[in-house]
Amino acid sequence: MKLDIDEILADMLSAIKGTVTENWKEVKSTANQFLQNKKERLELLAELRINNDLTQEKFESYLEDEKLVLEAELHAIAIISKAIAQKATNAAIAVLEKAIKTIISSVV
Amino acid sequence: MNQLILKTKNYTLLFLTLLALNSCKVTFVPSYDAKISEQIDETTKSVDLFYLNMLENTSEKNDGRAFDKFSERYVELEVELNSLLNKNKVKPLNKSSTRICEITLQLWQKYKGIHKKDDKLTNGEIKYNRKIFEDLFYAMQVAEKGKKLAENPPQ
Repeated sequence: MKLDIDEILADMLSAIKGTVTENWKEVKSTANQFLQNKKERLELLAELRINNDLTQEKFESYLEDEKLVLEAELHAIAIISKAIAQKATNAAIAVLEKAIKTIISSVV
Repeated sequence: MNQLILKTKNYTLLFLTLLALNSCKVTFVPSYDAKISEQIDETTKSVDLFYLNMLENTSEKNDGRAFDKFSERYVELEVELNSLLNKNKVKPLNKSSTRICEITLQLWQKYKGIHKKDDKLTNGEIKYNRKIFEDLFYAMQVAEKGKKLAENPPQ
């Protein structure tokens, strides 16, 4: 049995594409939720400042904290991206493994 | 004869590649931890309850929100946050979740410090603190559950 490298590569690529597409919805909905949360926080912050529920000093301090919240949210998205990359890579390896197993079983 | 040796070599190479691939699985994130996820959930609820109680059942009048009335609960919740941080810290490849916990703990200590210094908390501060922790715990939970995406190895 011939080892068809092009076919194996195409199968590996489609395994990667399948995994990423399947999980893209997850990244998109999470990113949208983070944006929505940020919008709500900033609206609340503006409202509290306008109504004098917050001093200017505290308002600025909270705005500074927003940088840390953003950092936390980006770390959460990084985990999702890495998890998807892991699944896609392992899917591609599994395709190669299966192709080699087929060749070996056909000659043994 | 030469052809037979070449064929044997090729199959040996294929066999060795297969052996190598069998043990080859990449890992970029640690596995999902249901216990940590549960603890995040519990801590989220406890922090929410803490701020909601403060907002609904106390007022600034007559030192109703003096720091010492809440200091014990602050400590208990900080212990929970420390526990989450330490559980994440000891896991390999877990830098991102650890950082989210560090940020949450850092802001918790900052807001506790402000309450202690001012010895009071306005409704506005309570509302914003509650919201910021709600969103940080959401990020923490998204990170933990995101690790599930790496599972279900391909068939």
